[in-house]
Amino acid sequence: MNLLSFLIALIGFAVAAPVLGCLIAGLDRRISARLQGRVGPPLLQPYYDLRKLLAKDDATVNRYQGFYVALALALTIFSGAVFFAGGNFLLVIFLLTLSVLFFIIAAYSTRSPYAEIGAAREIIQIMSYEPMLILMAAAFFVATGSFDVSAAFALGRPIIVVLPLIFLGLVFILTIKLRKSPFDLSSSHHAHQELVKGITTEMSGRTLALVELMHWYETVLFLGWVGLFFIWGSWWAAALAVLVVIVIYLLEILIDNTFARVKWQVVLVSSWAVTFVTVAVNLFILRIL
Amino acid sequence: MFSSALIPILALVLFPMLVAALLLVIRADGPRRVLVVGAAILIAAGSILLAVQILMAGEIRLNLGLPWLEYLAFAVEVIIAAYIIVKGLLYRRVLVIGLAALQLIFAGLYSFTVSHGMTIYAEVYLDGLTAIMVLVIGIISSGICVYSLGYMRDFQEHANAGVVQAVLKTINVTRGVLRGTGANAEGHVDNGGPEDALEDGADAAPGARDRRPVFFSLMFLFLGAMFLLVFSNKLSWLLCAWEITTVCSFALIAYTRTEESIANAFRQIAMNLLGGLAFSVALLILGLYQIGELNLLVAFGTNAGLLNISVALPIALLALAGITKAAQMPFQSWLLGAMVAPTPTSALLHSSTMVKAGVFLLIRLAPTFGFNANGMMVMLIGALTFLFCTLLAISQRNAKRVLAYSTVANLGLITACAGVGTPEAIWAAVFLLMFHAVAKSLLFLCVGTVEHRIGSRDIEDMDNLFVRMPALARLMALGMFVMFIAPFGMLIAKWAVIVALVETGNLTLLVILAFGSAATFMIWAKWLGKMLAIAQEEPSVEKAAHRSELLAIYLMAALTLGLSIAFPFVSEYLVVPWLATSVANFFLISPAEWLNVTAAIGLDNLIIMSLIVLAFIAVFATFFGRGKKRQVPIYLAGLGLDFEKRSYRNSFSQVSVASQRNWYMDGWFGETALTPVANVMCVAILILGLAVATFAMFSGVPLEGVFGL
Repeated sequence: MNLLSFLIALIGFAVAAPVLGCLIAGLDRRISARLQGRVGPPLLQPYYDLRKLLAKDDATVNRYQGFYVALALALTIFSGAVFFAGGNFLLVIFLLTLSVLFFIIAAYSTRSPYAEIGAAREIIQIMSYEPMLILMAAAFFVATGSFDVSAAFALGRPIIVVLPLIFLGLVFILTIKLRKSPFDLSSSHHAHQELVKGITTEMSGRTLALVELMHWYETVLFLGWVGLFFIWGSWWAAALAVLVVIVIYLLEILIDNTFARVKWQVVLVSSWAVTFVTVAVNLFILRIL
Repeated sequence: MFSSALIPILALVLFPMLVAALLLVIRADGPRRVLVVGAAILIAAGSILLAVQILMAGEIRLNLGLPWLEYLAFAVEVIIAAYIIVKGLLYRRVLVIGLAALQLIFAGLYSFTVSHGMTIYAEVYLDGLTAIMVLVIGIISSGICVYSLGYMRDFQEHANAGVVQAVLKTINVTRGVLRGTGANAEGHVDNGGPEDALEDGADAAPGARDRRPVFFSLMFLFLGAMFLLVFSNKLSWLLCAWEITTVCSFALIAYTRTEESIANAFRQIAMNLLGGLAFSVALLILGLYQIGELNLLVAFGTNAGLLNISVALPIALLALAGITKAAQMPFQSWLLGAMVAPTPTSALLHSSTMVKAGVFLLIRLAPTFGFNANGMMVMLIGALTFLFCTLLAISQRNAKRVLAYSTVANLGLITACAGVGTPEAIWAAVFLLMFHAVAKSLLFLCVGTVEHRIGSRDIEDMDNLFVRMPALARLMALGMFVMFIAPFGMLIAKWAVIVALVETGNLTLLVILAFGSAATFMIWAKWLGKMLAIAQEEPSVEKAAHRSELLAIYLMAALTLGLSIAFPFVSEYLVVPWLATSVANFFLISPAEWLNVTAAIGLDNLIIMSLIVLAFIAVFATFFGRGKKRQVPIYLAGLGLDFEKRSYRNSFSQVSVASQRNWYMDGWFGETALTPVANVMCVAILILGLAVATFAMFSGVPLEGVFGL
């Protein structure tokens, strides 16, 4: 990752990811609606929502929350830029963790009981999925001999061939990262969220718009991780990766609409168990071979 | 043959001891303040001077060639043993007496028989690691000593107030009994802790006995002993310094003379005497091989396969000594118990001395570790300690206990790195040591001051600290950030650990580390959230803390930030050269990874991190708290009344209070659930490791042959 490729990726990601993320969110809502027997909103509804949020009266509960959220957004963009520039995978994960931390602090800073519960649950979610992310990056090193994402393009075969179980582990925790049911503890877009709006309870207007935007960036970044498993040094690798990403996202929508939300205990235990089993079995088999 | 480093070396050992002696006789506040501040500045300056000298020379070896020093070391050990035995007799601790006596016998055997005629090449050996330790001890410990000036004044006042209150209580109780109403009418009886601040009662009070001269004297004696410890290459001197630090921390922990503090002090000394005993047995065994120096031992251990002799057992015993001193499981309870001492003691024990001596020895031995039985023992103990203590920290509400568990956990990580023993792992261990030293001292000093101001060390009581004590809350947040998150030190070191583990294919440790890291996020994020919460009231004025306290806190904060920015340079000009020369030279035939030592995660990534820190400083300085939006109250399921208390009028027109506590998940991560499991595992690993090492020695097989990969 040199400076030029990073800058190109930064601009590209900053501009393209929200467009893509917005379309994905729109599709998500339409497909979810169809699954629930509704017609659903127009495809660009997330964009209209964002515009409306930006036009709202600019009020806040304290002087710091907006800053924390903006910092979280900036770090998400930075992290995505490092990823799409082919940079260090661990760096991507660490920057994203920092971003989520600021998001959590933004919620805590309000001292609203609802936001606090949401933030505490978000911490539980991070604790649940973080081991998988670190181990995924480590497994990536085992498969490619480098932590640089760009190393995938020099391979003779996609890493899914050697890391199939790790991929399953990633798909499992992806549901948490995308804040989809059954793991949407901290904040949910479904009506069954009883904690007002969890972590975003006290975020409104432009601040909430930034949160939406961050969610779009995140979605694109996470789907980039999914695609990475199907990348190798071939011209049609990208096409395959996009296809897989679409399938996986459809699967996430299906899961989102078919599962009821679970308790935090289930989130923690199941994701740690899945992480441990997939990583241990996958890497152990690799060791033997 | 005496190098110019001799003077600072002698000065750094002897000067703190001289100051310690002076402080013992000075009872007035004023002169003590002058002496402590002056000595702290001189020691810090001296340590910087010596560190520069070491860096310019690369390595410094000295041989004083004075045979009577061996007997002096023994004499010191006799004094120490006598002190321990007297204390043991006073408080009837048979185990402690036994351990001390046994160790004295071994030390005597060594000094009067085995050590005779042994060739010593360098009694003193200084290299890059020594330079780092010297800076950590010299600057951070000095800062803590300055901090203690203000802190101990409060502490004494609170103790005096406690005495006054106890007297008043007795009078009231007596009255109550006389009136026939019973003592219970007086309500709860306080334990005289710092919770009740009767500031005005302090001067008039008959007072608790002022033992501050002893306290300050011990702090400086500790410093001198730590310097001796990191300078000594001759093992018998090292053991002598080792024991002085043990005894100093014993006395510091028992400072308040409460039942609990005395019990905990004895727990500390029993565990560390066990380590010291292991050390002295190692010394005797090594004497049989005519090895009297740490360097020589490491060289023999590193090339055991080539030289065809086995020093596995003495190395395992020294590792055990390091593990006890670094409070690794199953010995973590002594450091947790040490929390009863005044906070500067905790800061000193946790950040710059005592436990750092343990990991210092382990890092010194690191080239001999790796994928052999000793290495496995050390890395597993470290990794399990990291995982379990981090999980245990989740269940703690007491701020100092969270810090203590986090210290043990981070030392576990350092220990594990030493056990892995590759250049990347040692690089990570050294950075973990440095960042932990600065950040943990910052955190302890902040918590100490906060505790005295808000009267509690419960994390739940630190709610809204962001408004109540703006400066301290921000600095504490800085310390916490450095402890667990990018772009700051501990995380970068952890990053290096991941790289080291992946490159050596160490899957077990990798998995343990990944889960432990996730738990690390939990402990700090929830505390940060609580502390950075903002009630919608106008900020109250930060109660004035002592100037000496603030000075030390700002020093630690500056060091923390400075190191976060400068660490690519520290890596490039200090740690990497040290690894590439001093450590790599231990190998007669260098393994591949030692031929070209670089920073574990690439200089470019280090610089990116450093730049992010700088960008953060700029962004925070420009935008933090500058929002000019209209402010509205938070939502409280009704009509908000008092946002500080979070009370509101609910739909029945009654007043409700919304309360929200952090998650502690005691049933999952509590001490009753985890500690026994972890202790059993670690004891088993220790026994197994020592057994294999013993077998290796008696069968004469180099360790690599016994348990190699």
